[in-house]
Amino acid sequence: MKHFTHSAVAIALISALAACGGSGSDSTPAPVPDGTFSFAATEMVTNLTDDVIVAGYSDLATRGATLLASTQTLVATPSQSNLEAVQQAWKAARQPWEQGESHIFGPVDSLGIDPHLDSWPLNTTDLTTVLSTTTGFDAKTIKGWNDDVQGFHTMEYLLFGDGVTTNTKMIADLSDNERDYLMGLAEVFRDYTKNLDDAWLISHDASTGKAYGELIKNPGSDGNTFYSSNVGVVQELINGMIGIVDEVGNGKIADPFGADAASADTSKVESQYSWNSLTDFSNNIIGVRNVYQGELAGSADKQGIVDFVAAADKELAARVGTEIDNAILTIQAIEGSSDMPFRQAISDVEGRKRIQTAVDALSKLQTSLESDVLPLLKTWKV
Amino acid sequence: MASVLCLSACGGSGDENTPVPEEKVYPAYTDITASGGDTTTYDASESGHGFSTPAPNLTAAELALHLDGDLGFETAFTTAPNDAHPELDGLGPVFNNADCNSCHQRDGRNSTPQVAAGETRVKLGSEAGIFLRISKAPDEPCLVGTAANNYCAPIAVPNFGGQLFHRGVLKARNDWEQNKFIGQADVYLSYETKVISYSDGTTVTLKKPLFDVENPYDAPGETKSSANVTSNLLQDDVLMGWRNGMPVFGLGLLEAIPEADIVANVDADDANNDGISGRANYVFDAVKAQAGDSNPVSLGRFGWKANTPSVRVQSLGALRGDIGITNPLFPDESIKGTALHDDYLTRTGFVDTGAGIDGEPEANAEFSDSVVFYAETLAVPARRRVADADVREGARLFEQLNCSGCHTPSFATKASGDIGGTEMIAGHKSQTIYPFSDMLLHDMGEELADGRPDFLADGSEWRTRPLWGIGLTQTVNPQAGFLHDGRAATLEEAILWHGGEAQQSTDDFMALNAVERAQVVDFLMSL
Repeated sequence: MKHFTHSAVAIALISALAACGGSGSDSTPAPVPDGTFSFAATEMVTNLTDDVIVAGYSDLATRGATLLASTQTLVATPSQSNLEAVQQAWKAARQPWEQGESHIFGPVDSLGIDPHLDSWPLNTTDLTTVLSTTTGFDAKTIKGWNDDVQGFHTMEYLLFGDGVTTNTKMIADLSDNERDYLMGLAEVFRDYTKNLDDAWLISHDASTGKAYGELIKNPGSDGNTFYSSNVGVVQELINGMIGIVDEVGNGKIADPFGADAASADTSKVESQYSWNSLTDFSNNIIGVRNVYQGELAGSADKQGIVDFVAAADKELAARVGTEIDNAILTIQAIEGSSDMPFRQAISDVEGRKRIQTAVDALSKLQTSLESDVLPLLKTWKV
Repeated sequence: MASVLCLSACGGSGDENTPVPEEKVYPAYTDITASGGDTTTYDASESGHGFSTPAPNLTAAELALHLDGDLGFETAFTTAPNDAHPELDGLGPVFNNADCNSCHQRDGRNSTPQVAAGETRVKLGSEAGIFLRISKAPDEPCLVGTAANNYCAPIAVPNFGGQLFHRGVLKARNDWEQNKFIGQADVYLSYETKVISYSDGTTVTLKKPLFDVENPYDAPGETKSSANVTSNLLQDDVLMGWRNGMPVFGLGLLEAIPEADIVANVDADDANNDGISGRANYVFDAVKAQAGDSNPVSLGRFGWKANTPSVRVQSLGALRGDIGITNPLFPDESIKGTALHDDYLTRTGFVDTGAGIDGEPEANAEFSDSVVFYAETLAVPARRRVADADVREGARLFEQLNCSGCHTPSFATKASGDIGGTEMIAGHKSQTIYPFSDMLLHDMGEELADGRPDFLADGSEWRTRPLWGIGLTQTVNPQAGFLHDGRAATLEEAILWHGGEAQQSTDDFMALNAVERAQVVDFLMSL
């Protein structure tokens, strides 16, 4: 089944006629704005790769190493203060991970690191059985086990308890075997966070492939089968922002929130054991702000998606920035004046009002990103 | 380039010595961008979301159902019983992965497992989206499917089944305290390499995946080389073949191609003498069987050997087969009746490994229907760089090499009718689509053969892969490979593996110069 319609020569002639047809007539119409805009994206992509994505993963790897070190200290010297140090190290590692969910593409997905680190919900049935029947845990063995008995939330469960009435666990409630398992989990965690950092800096497949950061920064280059141009990279970054705004508003918050207080379901609350949920959610959107602004909070100003948007529409660029800030603030405000955890707020009358405000802010932001920012790719003169 | 053309076309004063370029003829699909007709997506077609976008022509109600299915596609199931989330339990007890997404990452291909530096092989674990199909070698080829011969279905390996599950829930095996989270056996992957040389001296190193199966549950510790092998799995007449997860988008359109249009391209005996045959597979259809059809057989359209007839059978078969989640179409565990399953039930006392405590399948009808709908309604990504001169030349060479002899560029979908007893989706009707597949079986040669028949497909035959979207494969998943086992790291490698009926095309490809070879790949990357 072959269909032949026209030839290259025919196309070339049509192009040639179009190019040569004018004779400089006085009737040449004045230029009319065509609704397009120009923006050189290379500097922005480089900034976002190096100063946001790779910097974030390097921070995660560093905090992963700290988490392991603090766990080793806890195992060597079980004490309340050492347990609290591991709890803080866990929360510290959680921050760059959650912020990184605004760009959760590439090695974090292809190397299976996301499910290894952040599977939810965890499998308390198997976890309990493992702990009651096994001793002498090592990282290599744990890596071969299912994802739902390792990663952030398994460590969280062991470090903070079940979270139903409190997130404060006493050292007396942490058994020797649980401490040993924690150390194995922390070693696995350290390895995976280092693998992720290496994948962006050294080799995307932990083997012979190029650094993923270089592939992103050099679209269309020889042998780059990942991205053919900066259009794809910018599209990736914007879709990544949309993805996490959608997940926070319509998944992480909406699922446990339910249609009403009666249908609220605490079992669906992520990071419910540590009561870290609201910090997780706001860090997700702070991650969106990092990509939008082009730098991590507190760093010197660099180019980000905001500059791309501003090249087309300065008012839109400012509006989206405000909407991101508002989404973060409304999430943080859910705790109210009494530091109410999210798992309690979903069943509280005033808490539910504050949650609805945050959901509305996220919805507004998502609409702007989908309806106003993403379509700019169509009018971008690359 | 445009200016050069302009000078050539306009600047001359009739120089008769100016060489006239040879007129080249380009196939019609050269300029096509809307590969999926009205279901084509543009907003994500250059990014890692290129396979994950709902078709833009869905109604609001359809979009809501699609998004429900999206959630189901990413749902990770857990061990039963799970008191906090009973809706999520029922995993396994043996399985290949815990959710759909792990084998179809971002709705594309799975990652190809890598052997770590200093190691010779890698043990399949949760990262692996690849698994082994298994069956007993038949005494003789099965030519016509009947009820008496189980419609030529592969012969299950006694006490194992038709698919090797390398993972398990904690207590899947009775030796679980020594083999935690292990399924029916341990599976290891390694690679052997060979070097291909072009006439210009350029070389390409190809790698072929090999497997080792060890430690089967019916004979723990045994390997193929053990003395006096007793395991049913390790017998000499057990056939095994790798299978990768496939891209999920555009499936509803493939389902909507009229059967007559696919069968029209069948040329089983190569009557037109072009070196290409093309056979249809006819397979057991669980939907028809459940409806009481006395001859539950349909044209196979999906799966690496066209061994499943519809998106519903494919999706719900994978839900039960790959994850171990029973559903309304497949209400029994695939390992039902095996020693492992019987022992597991007896030992754990679980009652919900085939059904929930309510007696219903582990995935209910609502969940199952939404996942099927999701797989049917993912958008096809738009083509890119169609005006690029190298892409256009690649399209011309694609025709010249007769790649389109099997990778049929275009079909029109049905204008009306139903799919497996369900009214077809409105947005799929009367669409001109460019999947670049004839949906038929072809002998691809010894190097790709797994020697394992599947319904009417023999051990060397594979269904032509649709090529739409293939250029985004590694944008969606940087570690994805091509072909049924992911052995090809690049499209060039995939071409070089083509043998059998495609050997002439491969030889002709190898005869091209380096620029032309790159142009063929450029065209494929534009799809």
